[in-house]
Amino acid sequence: MREAVLWASGAVLAFLVTAGAFLLLANLGTGPSVKSLPPESQPANSGPALELNLDEEELASLQPLPDQRLRVGVKNSGNEDLTEVHLTLEVSSENTALSDASYYRDTVDTLAAGTSTVVPFNLDLSAHEGTSSMAPAAPEPPRTIVEVRATTPTGVSAVRTAILPL
Amino acid sequence: MRFRIGLYPAAVLAAVILVVAGCMRESEETSIPPLSAVGGRAGLGPGTHALSSGPGYKSSPSWSPRGDRIAFTVDGYVADKPVNAGDIRRWTTGDFVAQDAEWISESSLAIFGLASGSAASSSVYRAHSREGSPDVEEIATGILAMCPGPEGKGLIVVLENGSYEGRVALLNDSGMVDRFYTRSIEGRVTGVSLSPDGRRLALATRPPGDLKPSELHVLDLREGNHWRIARLEKGLEIVGAPQWTKQGIFYVAGKEEVSGGERATPLYDLFLIPSGSGEPIPAPGVGEDFVASSIRVSPDGERLAVIGRLNPNSPTNLYVLDLETRDLEDVTSNEDMEIKTGPDDLAWSPDGESVAIIARGELSEQPSVRAAPKGALLEDFYNLYEIPVDGAKEVPR
Repeated sequence: MREAVLWASGAVLAFLVTAGAFLLLANLGTGPSVKSLPPESQPANSGPALELNLDEEELASLQPLPDQRLRVGVKNSGNEDLTEVHLTLEVSSENTALSDASYYRDTVDTLAAGTSTVVPFNLDLSAHEGTSSMAPAAPEPPRTIVEVRATTPTGVSAVRTAILPL
Repeated sequence: MRFRIGLYPAAVLAAVILVVAGCMRESEETSIPPLSAVGGRAGLGPGTHALSSGPGYKSSPSWSPRGDRIAFTVDGYVADKPVNAGDIRRWTTGDFVAQDAEWISESSLAIFGLASGSAASSSVYRAHSREGSPDVEEIATGILAMCPGPEGKGLIVVLENGSYEGRVALLNDSGMVDRFYTRSIEGRVTGVSLSPDGRRLALATRPPGDLKPSELHVLDLREGNHWRIARLEKGLEIVGAPQWTKQGIFYVAGKEEVSGGERATPLYDLFLIPSGSGEPIPAPGVGEDFVASSIRVSPDGERLAVIGRLNPNSPTNLYVLDLETRDLEDVTSNEDMEIKTGPDDLAWSPDGESVAIIARGELSEQPSVRAAPKGALLEDFYNLYEIPVDGAKEVPR
C-alpha cells in the first residue's frame, strides 16, 4: 500500500516537473515584442525593392509656369537587378472636379542592385483652364499634386506624392 | 530509500519551476493595426475612423437610412461610399454646384444645388441609383432651404415666393408634392429643422431690410399656421439651421466683430428657446465662455452635437450635450487638426452612436512629400471622420 502511494506521488511529481519545464521554456522562447508595422517600411536588401526620392528644396522652387524641371531619384534598394523601371508622373489639381491631369512617362532600362539614378522631367505647371479655379466655398485656391509611380514588369513598385502650394 | 530521500527536494523544485514559470511577465504585445489610408490615426482622439481619403473640398456629410453608406459633397459634386470600405461613387456631374445632400430613401438622394450659370436661385435634384448608375433629375426650382421629411421619409422644401417670402412644400420619395402650404412665410428662409414629433417646422429667416437672418418662425405642419417666436437684437445673426430638440429649439447666433478695419474671428453663442417659451436663453450646460460654430440634433432628439470651443482660446472640438442632464461631453481631443465649422459639416449616424465631421491637418506653405498615392492621403486634405459618441468624457467644470 505504501509503495503504491509512493509510486502515485512520484508520477504526480514527474508530471509537475515536466509541465513546469514546458511552461518555463514557453516563456523563455517568446520572441521580441510585437510592434505595429509602419505601412511605409520596405525591407532593405531582402529581395527587390524600389525607392523614389523627391527633393523638397527643388519642389519648393517650382513655379506655376511651363518648363519646370523636377528630378526624380530612383533607387534599387534590393539585392536583385531591376529592368524596365517605368516611371509615371501625374500632375493634377487638388480640386477633384477638374479632370485635366497631365501625365509624363519615362523608363529606366536597367537599375543594378544597390544603385540609384536620377530621371529629369520637364513639367508644365502653368494653370490650365480652370486648374486654379476654387471649389465652391473652399477657403483657399487648390494646391497642385504631383504623384510619381515606379513599376517594373515583375511587380516591384513605389509611389511618392508631393503636394505643392502653387 | 533513495526514492524517499529525493521526493521532497524534487517537490520543492517542481513548485519553484511552476511558480517562476507561471509568474513570468508576459512579453509586451501590441496589436497590429490594419493598414489603412496614410495618417489613419488622425489627431482627433481614440476611436476615430476615417470615412474618406484623398484630395477634394468635402462638405455636408449625410448617412444613409441604414447607416452603411455616407454621402457628401466634394468640390461641388455629390459622392457617396460605403462606411467601412469600398470605392467612392460619384452621383452628379458639373451641371450644377451641389451644396447639400440628404438621403430620402436607401437608394435616393435629395441634392440642394445651384445650377451652373444661374444667378442665385437654387434647385433641388433627386438622384436615384438604378443598378449602380445614378440618375439625376431636377424636381423643384427656386428653393431656399430643405430638410428631410418626417421619419426621414421624403423632403421638406421652402420655395421662394418673391424676394422676401417663402412657401413650404412636402415632397415624397419620388419628388412629387404631397402637400403645399399656401400661407407664405415672411422673410427669406435660410434654414429649417423638423421637430422630433415631425409635426412642426422651425425656420430661420432674414426679414426685409436685414442683412442677416435674425428671426425664428414656427410652422404647424398639420394646421398650416405659422408664427414668429423670436427676433434677435440688431446686428446679431442666426448661423445655419435651428435644431429642434425635445427640450426646445437651439440655434447659434452672434455678431461678426470688425475692429480696425479687419474682421475678427466671430464669436457665436448657443441659445435655446425652451419648449413652451418664446424667450431665448443661453444654452444651459455649455458654459458662458463656450463658442459655438455648428450644431445638429441627434436622431432621438435628446442630444445635441456641437462643434465649438470651450473658450475663445481653446481648440475646436466636437462636443455632445445631453439635453436632459445638461452634461457636455467632449468626443474629440483635437491635437493639431482643423475641424470644419460650416453649418452642415456634421451629421449623426442613424443609430445615434457616432457623428461624422470633416477635418484636415494644419496647412503647410511648404511642399510636402508622402510615401503613398494621393487617393490614400488623409490629413493633407479635408476628409470625413466618424467619431464614436459612446465613451465620451464629461468636460470638467
